[in-house]
Amino acid sequence: MSRITIPIGPQHPALKEPLSFLLTVEGERIVESALRIGYVHRGLERIFQNRSYVQNVHVVERICGICSHAHTTTYCQGVEALLGLHIPPRALYLRTLLCELERIHSHLLWLGVLAEHVGFTTIFMYAWRDREIVLDIMEKLSGGRVAHAVNVIGGVRIDVDQEQVRLILARLDELERQIESFLGVIQHERTFRARTRAVGYLSIEQVRSHCVVGPVARASGVDIDLRRDAPYAAYGQLDFRVITAEEGDVWARTMVRALETIESVCMCRQLLAGLPDGPLAVRAPRRVPPSEAVSRCEAPRGELIYYIRSDGSDRPARVKVRTPTLTTLATLPDQLRGVNTADVPTVLSGVDLCIACADR
Amino acid sequence: MGDFSSALFALLIFPGFGFLCACALAFQWIDRWVTARLQGRIGPPWFQPLADFVKLMAKEDVLPIGAHEQACAALPMVSLAAVLTAALYVPVGGLATSAFEGDLIVVLFLLSIPALAYFLAGWLSVSVFSVVGGSRALLQYFAYEVPFLMAFAGPAMLSGSWSISRIATQQSQAVGMVLVQPVGFLLAFVGLIGKLKRSPFDIPKAKSEIGAGPLTEFSGRKLALWHLSLHIKTVVGIFLLVDVFLSGSFTGLAVPTALAFGVKVLFTLLALSVAGVLYARLRIDQLASLGWKVLAPLALAQMLAVIWIGAG
Amino acid sequence: MNIELMLESLRETSPTEALEPQAVPIDETFVTLPPDCIHAAVQVLVECFDLRHLSAITGEDTGDEIVLLYHFWDRHGLTLRTPLPRQNARITTLTDLIPGAAFYEREVSEMLGVAFDGHPNPRTLVLPDDWAGEPPLLRPEKRQ
Repeated sequence: MSRITIPIGPQHPALKEPLSFLLTVEGERIVESALRIGYVHRGLERIFQNRSYVQNVHVVERICGICSHAHTTTYCQGVEALLGLHIPPRALYLRTLLCELERIHSHLLWLGVLAEHVGFTTIFMYAWRDREIVLDIMEKLSGGRVAHAVNVIGGVRIDVDQEQVRLILARLDELERQIESFLGVIQHERTFRARTRAVGYLSIEQVRSHCVVGPVARASGVDIDLRRDAPYAAYGQLDFRVITAEEGDVWARTMVRALETIESVCMCRQLLAGLPDGPLAVRAPRRVPPSEAVSRCEAPRGELIYYIRSDGSDRPARVKVRTPTLTTLATLPDQLRGVNTADVPTVLSGVDLCIACADR
Repeated sequence: MGDFSSALFALLIFPGFGFLCACALAFQWIDRWVTARLQGRIGPPWFQPLADFVKLMAKEDVLPIGAHEQACAALPMVSLAAVLTAALYVPVGGLATSAFEGDLIVVLFLLSIPALAYFLAGWLSVSVFSVVGGSRALLQYFAYEVPFLMAFAGPAMLSGSWSISRIATQQSQAVGMVLVQPVGFLLAFVGLIGKLKRSPFDIPKAKSEIGAGPLTEFSGRKLALWHLSLHIKTVVGIFLLVDVFLSGSFTGLAVPTALAFGVKVLFTLLALSVAGVLYARLRIDQLASLGWKVLAPLALAQMLAVIWIGAG
Repeated sequence: MNIELMLESLRETSPTEALEPQAVPIDETFVTLPPDCIHAAVQVLVECFDLRHLSAITGEDTGDEIVLLYHFWDRHGLTLRTPLPRQNARITTLTDLIPGAAFYEREVSEMLGVAFDGHPNPRTLVLPDDWAGEPPLLRPEKRQ
């Protein structure tokens, strides 16, 4: 059978962000694929060097739309470590609360996109309708649905009162009910399973050798989660499970993310219940003494790492960002080999790509 | 003169072209509204399908270089002509424009023409998405067509006639075919979903994978006619199902025939909408597997059961 | 993850170096090695300690030299620091030990002009294929 080359991207209905694949297809199976990224590279690491630490908080937030809070958390954590600041516990709790809400938001959005790509429009509509609950909560807390601007170097800039806590808890209950119903569909609906089982398989060996992180790694049996293994912010005070699966396919990743979402709802409840009193931020000096720091955070897609070096001025000498999507991108050619062309959007959605993060 | 004008009326107004177009728009609205409500959305206003049609007719009509201009212009019209001709023989509320012994077979044949035109449209419009969509459409056709055709053989054999009008009226003396051959009805229903390329069998036009499949490169008037022919095919398909399996407009109760027919048609349409909402889209190889390993054997078993019962 | 044991093994691969660990926030240990010892050191870490998670490879032009940082992690962080000369910066690739290093090395290569000997696919990662300018993260005042 003759081979044809199908281009996927940079613009394609299956892609949310620009990414280019050249798929070599024989019949309905993919034989080889070539990946090209960099369509939204904005040179941010160079930009960081030309802006002050405070200005960089705003730049960092705009690396990505959907994990913006994870980026600012990691960055602010790093700068606070350089300055040797002790962040007040209330600020850490609020920071963690936004982290978990953002994780719920990211996973719900992703679930809708995956459902749409397997033709299950109904779940797409339901997931995005319930995503509005999370967005409303985040808007109530920070004033912004997607870009929150909550973190400052030294703490957070928002606060919650008892009334808001009560409202948020009520909406979290509503959200949990909806997510449980999705879980039922994912586990039992036969056509969904038919489209996602044994698709995009990654073995635990492939995951470890490519240094994959996040739900993709956990779905292949690798038990890593920075929130438990290297607790930051308020995670040391929380009680939660790390969800792993053994199957390593798109279905396993769906299960992992869906169960993680429920864990996140429980964590939000714990945070709101145990919110300590106190100030929201400490003053941070503008100039940072010469030092270096490595800061890590568990973003919705996995381990996010920042390396920051200061040289005594009010601008960083170097800010290095490695986002979790970069690790999963490297596995895509492996995942796509031998896959049916109809499953390409499923595989691409299954890894939850955030190209803006990967390109920076 | 009277004959001529009444024939003209039947062809152009009722139950002909005008009525079918009105039904096509109305059914499309009901389908979209019900699907939206089931998905937690609001749904379009009643005039949306009409507005979409008018908008498409006014849009620019371009084809890529290398696409066969005349053939691509002719294919939607061929498809529309085929479904309109098929509609002549399908009774609406007991009234058919025409009928003869064997018109069931002619109707089923005419309803297959749009599928082949669809495949050709993809093939002739050259772009990668269209060609892949076209080949999927053809594969899908083979998967559902055989069980679909076999499902209709049962009622025909039981009622001893291959004319749709006769089969419909036969059921008023006996009992609705759906009660005697539930499996046949189910197969015809599932086959209709495949024929109309509705979810979960909307594989050739899987938006997330291959744009709009065979019709990706069509726009403007051509696309408007394609959509019209597909929606009229929906109408004709539902009418056919109601006539052959749900005993047409006969209910045994004292209700007007039009109302009885309308209710059954609405029920079938709602069933199609609900089926479209409940499942994820199958892959072409999964559909082919379903068609040949499950549907075709069931259809064969149903036919054999009919023959055996009929003989005994 | 036992840092002390690892350092002992690393010292065996490069006995001329003192390899004093430096504690760096947050929960990270930095160790400086010469460039030609990096591959052997990583081999020890991978084969004897199963330390295969490479979080990132940072490259920085400090003005005097190009510094490469290999950030490893296994419940605690271990970073191997190595200085490279600004002219003709070369180092052996790690992709034979850790395939996941491929993207990281490609990015350091295009941003700082460092050559990774033996890299299976040394194309640009985020820069365009026809990028004709200077490596973007080299400091402008020292570019010749």
